[in-house]
Amino acid sequence: MKLRALLSLVLAGGTIAGASAALAGGMHSGGHGHASLDFGKPAKAADAGRTVTVVMRDNLFEPENIAVKAGETVRFVLRNEGAFVHEFNIGTAAMHAAHQKEMMMMVEHGALEPDRINRERMKMDMGGGMTMEHDDPNSVLLEPGESAEIVWTFTTAAELEFACNVPGHYDAGMVGTLSVRPKNGDKTS
Amino acid sequence: MGNPNVRKAAMATLVAMLASLATGPAVAGTYDLVIDTVTVDHSGTPKQAIAYNGQTPGPTLRFKEGEEVTINVTNRLSESTSIHWHGLILPPDQDGVPGISFPGIAPGETFTYRFPIVQSGTYWFHSHSGMQEQDGAYGSIVIEPKDREPFKFDREHVVVLSDSHDHSGHRILSNLKKMSDYYNRQQRTVGDFLRDVEEKGLSATVQDRLDWGEMRMMATDVADVQGYTLLVNGKNPEQNWTGLFTPGERVRLRFINASAMTYFDVRIPGLDLLVVQADGNNVQPVKVDEFRIAVAETYDVIVRPTEDRAYTIFAETMSRAGYARATLAPQDGMQAEVPTLRAPDRLTMADMGMAHEGMDHASMGHGSMAGMDHSNMAGMDHSKMAGMDHSKMAMGDKPDPFYAPGSGLTPKPADGGKFLSYADLRAQKPLYPDREATREIELRLTGNMERYIWSINGVKYSDAEPIRLRYGERVRFKFVNETMMTHPMHLHGMWSILDTGKGKWDPVKHVVSVAPGMTVYTETEVDAPGQWAFHCHLMYHMATGMFRKVIVEGGPQSAALPN
Repeated sequence: MKLRALLSLVLAGGTIAGASAALAGGMHSGGHGHASLDFGKPAKAADAGRTVTVVMRDNLFEPENIAVKAGETVRFVLRNEGAFVHEFNIGTAAMHAAHQKEMMMMVEHGALEPDRINRERMKMDMGGGMTMEHDDPNSVLLEPGESAEIVWTFTTAAELEFACNVPGHYDAGMVGTLSVRPKNGDKTS
Repeated sequence: MGNPNVRKAAMATLVAMLASLATGPAVAGTYDLVIDTVTVDHSGTPKQAIAYNGQTPGPTLRFKEGEEVTINVTNRLSESTSIHWHGLILPPDQDGVPGISFPGIAPGETFTYRFPIVQSGTYWFHSHSGMQEQDGAYGSIVIEPKDREPFKFDREHVVVLSDSHDHSGHRILSNLKKMSDYYNRQQRTVGDFLRDVEEKGLSATVQDRLDWGEMRMMATDVADVQGYTLLVNGKNPEQNWTGLFTPGERVRLRFINASAMTYFDVRIPGLDLLVVQADGNNVQPVKVDEFRIAVAETYDVIVRPTEDRAYTIFAETMSRAGYARATLAPQDGMQAEVPTLRAPDRLTMADMGMAHEGMDHASMGHGSMAGMDHSNMAGMDHSKMAGMDHSKMAMGDKPDPFYAPGSGLTPKPADGGKFLSYADLRAQKPLYPDREATREIELRLTGNMERYIWSINGVKYSDAEPIRLRYGERVRFKFVNETMMTHPMHLHGMWSILDTGKGKWDPVKHVVSVAPGMTVYTETEVDAPGQWAFHCHLMYHMATGMFRKVIVEGGPQSAALPN
């Protein structure tokens, strides 16, 4: 099957560092829990210097622009106030593009309905121990009315996006800029 | 402490002000449309066309959701006219269909339409009198929503597709009645016959031609009228209507198919098309490479051109007889490559319903069908069907469920990728709760191509009883297309919820296209008392009888007819 082929490709690539885009996308890939990414890593709420609340609506974020400093740990409080499932995912534009293909697969396999997450189906073994579970630390997937938190330490300066990769939502404008400015004293890269 | 009456008055004023803040001030707008003839040149042969306020297409009417509109329509033609507000939910006496909603607008008369705007999105308006729409009597409607939309755009363009003919609508109809293939320029020739003999053998080829003869139809009958010049916003491909953008912007294109007879397959090479609205109702955004727009449908599409270059909007007719072309560009005068027209599709026996078991041949409405024997059928299945499976299934494992398996009309993306299907349309915000239909009404779409009579259940409009619906019921319409034409069915006054098997997400439309050999279901919440039109939106099918009056009985008293 096409899906199986794609997933085994991701799995094979997972052993080399270059596959971080696929890993970070949100699909759980056989045992990795808390992979750190080029631009940062998950952290504990106690370490967070500030809290940023992001509200998800159909199909947009409020606010749409967030600026942080390299080295800063931010606690994101995420609330889905829309009528559809939405995602909050921190990454580069390329990572989001890759993740959108995975999310499309989740829709095609019934793991993701417009207003419902079929969590049982996400656990389904897609072959080779792969599942469609959406548990990467840089993203959350929320049903209407749900809330969640992400605590993230931004390690280096980067131009990132926070995005919803549910099919169609990103293109409809559900994406914001997340600008990580260099630490004081650092050179702008 | 002050005069209590003054205080009370001040309080009343404050309450009134708060109330008006809460509900928003009632918006009321007055619009004037004058219908008259103008001279246009679409094909190199100047002709007389019908225009609104001196232009065809007419102006874009921009309304706001919640607005009370007053529209004065003055008729400067020498014949009666009318305006139907296509897709708008309004009182029955404002719907603009002569003989059903009102008597029409006599020459020299001004008729004033008044109705509240209770929806938002892209719609259009056109004459519902004679063949005036074919002659240019159409324009666009854009309704700004009260709430913010579930998608972003920086700029928008209305893109009206239409078909213009050197012959007037009346002359086309009269020619079709005299000779149904008058405008068919793709008839198969002796050369085609010899080529088919070489490819398929003599007996299969002879059998194929005999079968088509029996059906009183031709394999090239994808469109019954050809010789059209295809237009975008009134411009032919050389005149090249151009819409501007700044690279990086999200551009909303409001496509309206105002053609009398022409379906289009639309693409913009180099750009993804994010479909966000169909027939004025938002759909969950879906990204495609190409889409088919039936006559009278609208689709809103968002594109995001990032390069500093021109892009071609390319709209081939479904019959591949021609194309409409326009350009999106950072500045006027820039052009992109114009693709070549694809080879025409041929209808297959699947489009005749032959691929379906248990078809009642006598019901096809062709006298000779009843006499068709089963040896003919076997011949078709073997010679045509086998070949189809290979060529048509190659497009992927998910053929469009709204076309008969093996249909020659099944859409195929020109540049690969995804072609929009009705099955991809999911309502963004369902207008009605999902519930079981209370009853089903079967409507067989029937016709006699050679006599050029189109009908429903074998009966043309002039001989038919109205369809009676009861206020409050939810009717399920079963459309069975027994002809070889694709019919865009349009119910006035009430929405058509297209059954795509998605339950509450089924899209809500005003036109539902039914492909040959297909059965399609729609459901309607009967919530609008009065008399309404229900018809095929192909102009010459409507004019020759594929039309019904619908009467909704019971429910709140509708406004008394003023005339």
